[in-house]
Amino acid sequence: MKSLALAAVEAGDSPEGRDVTLEAARAGDRVAFDLLMRRHERLVLATAYRLAGNLEDAQDASQEVFLRLYRNLEKLDTGNLAAWLYRVTVNVCHDARRRRPSTVPVEDAPELAAAGDPQQSAGEAERKALLLRSLRMLSEKERAALVLRDLEGLSTAEVAGVLGSSVGTVRSQISKARLKMRDFVERYSRRRL
Amino acid sequence: MSCAVWEERVALFAGGDLETAEAAGVERHLTGCAACSALAQELRLELDGLRQVHAEPLATEHYAAVRGRVLAELAKSPRRGLVWPWAWAAALAVAAAAVLMVVMMKPAAVPATVLPRVVAVAPPAHTRGNDRSLTVAAPKRIGVGRAGTPAHVERAALPAIEEQKPIMADAATPTPPAAAEDSPVRMVQLATDDPNVVIYWLFEEKGEER
Repeated sequence: MKSLALAAVEAGDSPEGRDVTLEAARAGDRVAFDLLMRRHERLVLATAYRLAGNLEDAQDASQEVFLRLYRNLEKLDTGNLAAWLYRVTVNVCHDARRRRPSTVPVEDAPELAAAGDPQQSAGEAERKALLLRSLRMLSEKERAALVLRDLEGLSTAEVAGVLGSSVGTVRSQISKARLKMRDFVERYSRRRL
Repeated sequence: MSCAVWEERVALFAGGDLETAEAAGVERHLTGCAACSALAQELRLELDGLRQVHAEPLATEHYAAVRGRVLAELAKSPRRGLVWPWAWAAALAVAAAAVLMVVMMKPAAVPATVLPRVVAVAPPAHTRGNDRSLTVAAPKRIGVGRAGTPAHVERAALPAIEEQKPIMADAATPTPPAAAEDSPVRMVQLATDDPNVVIYWLFEEKGEER
């Protein structure tokens, strides 16, 4: 059974309309493909942004995802398109990160946090920045599991399907990711006091 | 019990990832464990905060930029609908070129030698002078006689060649000189099923072959 999040992505308009759009895109209709991109751009760019941590990399990844979509239109149907896009987005972001690693180890987190402006420590902006940074402290798999589960709202089984893992593995990754994030925030807060 | 054992379950509980029975077990633990209860509360707050931060939509121009880049990239390549016909045409052209090369490189055909039609196959019956022992019994259909001599022809099936071999072997005895000197022109008359067609086979024996 699909989660509400995945169903909502796929229920942007009528199933017939989605099929017609996909067929037209397959036939080479660029307007139809543009419509297909508009329908799924939030899914792709937002997920890529959460995984990559910056807009520039997220846009690069999104471009690659849509080009792959174009090349694979023949193999896809509207029923599994959202799951396919999530999977490709995660893979493209992983590939980009391997080429240009930027993960900050958790042990370095206090140094990173110390670079912040003390005057903003209590502010909302700092809290936002802190939470955004906390995602970067995670390993690729933990981050992907957490983003898909907690931010995209997929079920654990759907996350497992996207990542090609078992439900048990995903549950473990999600719990570790939440604990690491909480640990990062706690260590940062102690340092501020 | 160390609360480290409960941490992972508390983390899952905070995100609503536990089944009912498992969640009930965690809840019971939380009622008696202040540390784990605080951890659950912190985790919930952080998850809520994370969702709020990421709930802010990205500006529309960021999406438009991606779409523009993708469409620009696609504009460099042939349109999707035209890819396959073009590929088929290319494949056909390559196949046609390959066939043409094979045809052009093939050596010119040697004109077939026009072989005379074999009318009948049967060794001539031998008549060597008066040595009748060397005379091959004439096949029933084949009459043998000297040129100009009417051949005796009987209508019957042609003898098989194999039947002639022992006779030829028996005839391997040296040809008497007299026989060699006497090398008359022989004639074999071959009858056919058509009474209007008669085949005459003229030959001359030299004596070296038997």
